Amino acid sequence: MTNEPMIDLQDATKKYDDGPPALAGVSLSVAAGECVAILGHSGSGKSTLLNLVAGLDKPSSGTVTVNGTRVDQLGEAGSAKYRRASIGMIFQFFNLLDDLTVLDNVMVPAQLAGMGRLEVKRRAIELLTSLGIDRHAKAYPQRLSGGQRQRVAVARALMNRPALLLADEPTGALDSRSAEDVRRLLLDLNDEGQTILLVTHDIQLAANTARRTIELVDGAVARDVVNTVSGATSNSSAGASR
Amino acid sequence: MSALGKVVRSGVGRRRVQSLVMALTTFAAVTSSVLSLGLLAIVQAPFDHAFKARNGAHLSVQFDSSKATAAQAAATAHAAGVTEASGPYPVTAALNTAYGADCTGNIVAGMPVAGRASSPVVVATRPDLADTSGLDHLALVQGRWPTTANEIVLSTWDRLCAGGSVMFDSLPGKPSFKVVGQANSLTNTATGFLTTDGFARLTAAGAKTDQQMLYRFAKSGTDADLTTDKQAIAAAAPAGSVESGQSYLAVEKQIVGATKSYVPFLVVFGILGLFLSVLIIAIVVSGAVVSGIRRIGILKSLGFTPWQVARAYAAQALIPATIGVVGGTLAGNVLAVPVLGKASKELGAADTGLPVWVSLVVPIGTLVIVGVTALIPALRAGRMPAVQTLVVGRAPKAQRGRAAQRLASRLPLPRPMSFGLAQPFAKPARAALVGAAVLFGAVSVTFAIGLETAFTKYQDTDTTGFHAASMLVVPAGTPSGFHAPGGGPGSPHLDSTEVAAALASIPGTKAAFGWGNSGATVIGAPTGDHTIVDTTTGDLSWTNLELLEGRWYQSPGEAVINDHLSSALGMHLGDTVTVTQDDKRLPLRIVGIDFDGGSDGFVMTDNATFTAGGLTPYITQFNVKLADNTSGSDWSASAAPALAPLHAETAPNITYPNPTVLTMAALVATLTLMMIAVAALGVLNTVVQDTRERIHDLGIFKALGMTPKQTIAMVLTSVSLTGLIAGLIGVPIGMAVEKATLSQMGSALGRNMPPSVTHVYTPGILLPLLAGGIAIALLGALLPAGWAARSRTATALRTE
Ligand SMILES: Nc1ncnc2c1ncn2[C@@H]1O[C@H](COP(=O)(O)OP(=O)(O)O)[C@@H](O)[C@H]1O
Ligand SMILES: [Mg+2]
Repeated sequence: MTNEPMIDLQDATKKYDDGPPALAGVSLSVAAGECVAILGHSGSGKSTLLNLVAGLDKPSSGTVTVNGTRVDQLGEAGSAKYRRASIGMIFQFFNLLDDLTVLDNVMVPAQLAGMGRLEVKRRAIELLTSLGIDRHAKAYPQRLSGGQRQRVAVARALMNRPALLLADEPTGALDSRSAEDVRRLLLDLNDEGQTILLVTHDIQLAANTARRTIELVDGAVARDVVNTVSGATSNSSAGASR
Repeated sequence: MSALGKVVRSGVGRRRVQSLVMALTTFAAVTSSVLSLGLLAIVQAPFDHAFKARNGAHLSVQFDSSKATAAQAAATAHAAGVTEASGPYPVTAALNTAYGADCTGNIVAGMPVAGRASSPVVVATRPDLADTSGLDHLALVQGRWPTTANEIVLSTWDRLCAGGSVMFDSLPGKPSFKVVGQANSLTNTATGFLTTDGFARLTAAGAKTDQQMLYRFAKSGTDADLTTDKQAIAAAAPAGSVESGQSYLAVEKQIVGATKSYVPFLVVFGILGLFLSVLIIAIVVSGAVVSGIRRIGILKSLGFTPWQVARAYAAQALIPATIGVVGGTLAGNVLAVPVLGKASKELGAADTGLPVWVSLVVPIGTLVIVGVTALIPALRAGRMPAVQTLVVGRAPKAQRGRAAQRLASRLPLPRPMSFGLAQPFAKPARAALVGAAVLFGAVSVTFAIGLETAFTKYQDTDTTGFHAASMLVVPAGTPSGFHAPGGGPGSPHLDSTEVAAALASIPGTKAAFGWGNSGATVIGAPTGDHTIVDTTTGDLSWTNLELLEGRWYQSPGEAVINDHLSSALGMHLGDTVTVTQDDKRLPLRIVGIDFDGGSDGFVMTDNATFTAGGLTPYITQFNVKLADNTSGSDWSASAAPALAPLHAETAPNITYPNPTVLTMAALVATLTLMMIAVAALGVLNTVVQDTRERIHDLGIFKALGMTPKQTIAMVLTSVSLTGLIAGLIGVPIGMAVEKATLSQMGSALGRNMPPSVTHVYTPGILLPLLAGGIAIALLGALLPAGWAARSRTATALRTE
């Protein structure tokens, strides 16, 4: 691990047209290989923070640096290429493309990057196999269960071997068994070295998945703690609490 | 303002682009419909009215008095099919005239009109010129009727010689008559009228007198009817005594033809515009209903009845449509002024406006059609159950298009393009709307470009032949382009042999030919026309004069006549046309029919043919083609010393475009631009709507790393297949419509179009046209593609 953090936010503020800022002077850094949970109530600015890191949105002030790249200074095309190369995203509602098969969904990021179809297909099947959903490759997302869909979304997010996986409430729309399934998947990925930023309002999930939890309140960092117990083996509710 | 009104107003306000499109398309549709229907209604009326009021003759026939007596001519009144007849009236052939010595006006300063040739006149007399009992009442337009043997009325007389006399200078006695008024026969049975005593002076001076009979027939609607009628007259008269006949249809065509020729293409634009209006309004209103599902639910939960909701949505289309309809009605009436001006003037009608009922029927009709179109999707909105509309946030996705996506993904295309390619299949109805808009655009463009090209080619016929030249050589002192109307010895002319020789010796002369109006007339030519007999000398092959049929004259005794004269005389290749000059007759064999944009007949033959027949050619102008590297001024300078002793000088060649064609071309261009704009805006509107509905997918793509360029490529690809197909269908349709329109315009003008005018779709024009559909589709999609690329999609990702 280098001294250089993978994610570095300095005084990042995001204001929408009216009302208080969605994000108010957030500074934080995340090292490569970490799995960090962003915890907070609905409306506390979690998704906004994630969007800034993904380059989907620009801070009103402050800086966002990922792997040495000033994400806040990238243009539209630049940030698209940055996402393509460095970011994989999964969402509460999966955001799969309904009219594409599972396989085609997974292939999209690599195809947008201009990789050849055969090579892309091989990698996609590999990923689907390792996630245990290869038998659904030809199915359409609507036919799958929520947990299966989120696995497809994860496969798609990992397609371009991103340095950073951003997950926005990945278990929010799942029943508890499926949620546990996804949680374990994220843990496994992190064990293999994948850096993960996990946004959730679920204290349990944060505590059981991440090794560090940052709590946002009204757009500001209220707490930034390292979990004492590894979530992979414990069910205790240690760590962040309100 | 009522709650309903507020809803409508805010709806219109939120959809500015769509409102503009709807206003524009109805504007274009109504403008061309008002014009075409108005012209159709009015163009015929003044002539028909005058024909009825003046008891016009269907046919006038001249009988050669050496072959038929007045009594024999009069007896033809009982020929088969004749319902009414007048005459016989004594009449002359076309006589050359000159402006009398008492004329005081000048053509230009220092150039008096006195003594110069004027137009040939066919003179007739009747017992009472002001008689309103028989056929063909003469109308006194200006001045008074002649009362003495020294007075005459003419159908036209130059105001440069107002109050002066006309001289029949080709008659041995050169009699003169004071022009005391202007009077005409509606069907040009004669162009000058004398008292019986005055006519006796003409005869005494050497004019040959024929007998003229005027007829009305039971069947007279078509050229064929009148040919049959004329044959019946000829059968009832001594053999070979019928010299010429003038049909009212030919006159009618001449008077109303130019204006009538606007009607075919305006009808096309009217129909295209109306279809496009219906299409666009269907697109916009159904789009508003689909994207306004939530809004409709809210309106209903607030207590709006289904009918109120339907009205609110229909009104959102009707407000801009009404603006377009009102604007279009005004524009149609305004544009009618220059179009109608000419036709009305010729009949002396003061009213140049369109009939009022057109300005009522067209807009009301359009509004009804538009209203019904808008009401169909609006009623759907009205019937939609409120619960469903409130619950459904995002329109449910169709299962269609998956097969297309699968197939497209296998194509060796960049992924964004294969996404775009499959998109139309997911929403076939919407793709069909885009396709229809593009189709109309493609039809309009193909049609208009063909028509404009034909117009240009038609105009070009004015810069070929006698108009083709780098420089002109004219008699010293004549203004450029001036040709005395009557031609012959009265107009200044050149020594053709010497000038030709001089021109050949001037460096830089590439080719030259001389021509001039011989002043001769054509036996049997329609009396109302100024039929011209031109002679030429030298090689005119370089002037690109186009023949409809046959070939140019090569041997002595051959001639070319124009299509106008050919149809007026019913003469074809191989027939003999007889020209006469100073009572000498020269039969000429017709070897070619020439296309000519003018409305008068003419005969062309070689100087040598004329001289051999004992007639005198008069060459008034040489058209000179210069070598490529020779400038007009250099050439003029070196030509001057050689030409001056021959009383000749150089002049620039100035040509004027035909104002009717210019007006048409401008109209076509304006209407086409409107159609293209509307078609493209129709595409734009659809793509905007599509983009709105796909904002969620666009967000996903963006999160997965789709760049703005890739987004634009995807959106543009999504319309290009549709555009291509619509273009491929639209171009042949446009070509067929153009062909039909042009032939209708040609027949309105009474003219055959030469191949260069009718065969406009060369590969050089067709290939770009075939791509035109894509171009319109891309044009319409470009803006929303940019919006899609820049749209803020982060929010869209959070909802399902
Ligand atoms: N596009 C937007 N326009 C205006 N306000 C927004 C927008 N997105 C988020 N907000 C506001 O910013 C605040 C933080 O939102 P968000 O980051 O989505 O919170 P969280 O993900 O923690 O629920 C909220 O008050 C929300 O209403
Ligand atoms: Mg959120």
